[in-house]
Amino acid sequence: MIRYSIATILLLLAAFVVQQFLPAFTGIHHSRILLVQLVFLCCAVTVGQPTMLLLAFIGGFFWDAQCALGPHGGDSEVYRQQVENLRFGYSILLFGGMGFLMQGIQPLFKQGKWHFSALLSGIAVLLYLAAEYTIINFVRGDFTLSRATMWQMAYTSILTMFFSPLIFWMLFTIASSCGHSINPEAGRRRRSRWT
Amino acid sequence: MKPLNLIALLLFLGGAVWALTRSDRSVREIQNAYYTAMTPFLKSGSKLETQARAFLQETRHSKELEAELEATRGQLGRLRLIESRFRALEQENAQLRHALNFKEATRFDVVAARVIRRNPTTWWQTVEIDAGSKRGIGTQLAVLSNDGLVGKIDRVDSTGERSSVLLLTDEKCQVSARVEGSPEVGILSGQRGGFDADPMLRLRFLSANAAVRPGQRVFTTGRGGIFQANILLGTIHSVDKGALDSEALVRPSVNFADLGAVFVVLSADS
Repeated sequence: MIRYSIATILLLLAAFVVQQFLPAFTGIHHSRILLVQLVFLCCAVTVGQPTMLLLAFIGGFFWDAQCALGPHGGDSEVYRQQVENLRFGYSILLFGGMGFLMQGIQPLFKQGKWHFSALLSGIAVLLYLAAEYTIINFVRGDFTLSRATMWQMAYTSILTMFFSPLIFWMLFTIASSCGHSINPEAGRRRRSRWT
Repeated sequence: MKPLNLIALLLFLGGAVWALTRSDRSVREIQNAYYTAMTPFLKSGSKLETQARAFLQETRHSKELEAELEATRGQLGRLRLIESRFRALEQENAQLRHALNFKEATRFDVVAARVIRRNPTTWWQTVEIDAGSKRGIGTQLAVLSNDGLVGKIDRVDSTGERSSVLLLTDEKCQVSARVEGSPEVGILSGQRGGFDADPMLRLRFLSANAAVRPGQRVFTTGRGGIFQANILLGTIHSVDKGALDSEALVRPSVNFADLGAVFVVLSADS
């Protein structure tokens, strides 16, 4: 179990590296594959709550380190209405929220129905983006939601969801090499069918 | 709830509060440490992106390139003529300024850089360039292209070899702007979620009866301490007059979808 938990942390850190090689698809409303979020979501459904929260902290912390913008700068007499930044660390809470959402269907995953988790990962990414965009609107004021932004969120979720079977396959492989079962009930059912 | 889960939740919340209360300076230090660790991967990532772009450019239709070459040749001839006229005018201007004991015209000290990565984040409109503090670049410096203002430097890597540019199309990049041929000044910025192929900028805080019309050019005023004066920003697309103030939509002069080389203004005498 501990070896598997460490492996999930390493996998999440590796996702940050791979994310650097995944540019936005300018032709599809600047949508992108959110690999870090996807790896976190898939891991969240396979681990216990303490490990999930640790992964959420690492994921959110490094995601903000990667994306945070600097202070506005310039003369405040000229730029009186400065555009607010999102606070560093807000992603930690968003990752935590998504993790709890994924853990809600952990019983289904343990029965071997990983397809539901794959589908939910897409929904969770959509909710994550919607929450992030709502926070931006809330912090900066003047709520605006363009059709392009909606398409960007939708395509990003769909593109990201398509890769979830691959991540689950990796997690099953890692779990078996660590001698750990991430869906024990499904394993028991398979064994009882054979005997 | 199990005691272990409760402890984990409390630790998580404590960690989140700690992160949320970091100052701008500590956030920059955290970011520097993060990007220092990521530098080897970022270098190979941007190399891949540059190679992919070069490949795509090479495979463009040859006829299209031929037509482009012809047009460029024509443009070059025209520009040579303009340049020779410009040199004569510059000389004349210098003589007149000298005669009147005027200060020299504004001169930009710039560093040329290549765009090596586009839109690395979900919501912010940024690009990364291959020049950093080793070439004298710091934060809050204006970035230009041949067509006008591109944005400003937002972050410089601790390795000194890369910088992140906040584009003019981002909501957070605000520029004090004036409309050519009118006394109108306002604040120009990008629009939230403006990832369209044809992004528009918002010029706000114009006077209620602003005498501006579509087609007029918009330039920087030089106020605000970041951008030098008289840098082209774009042209007025439409004007929306309100009861207290007016707002205009501005089409940027720079094609942000096709940014290749940019220039960072290190200093400018005014």
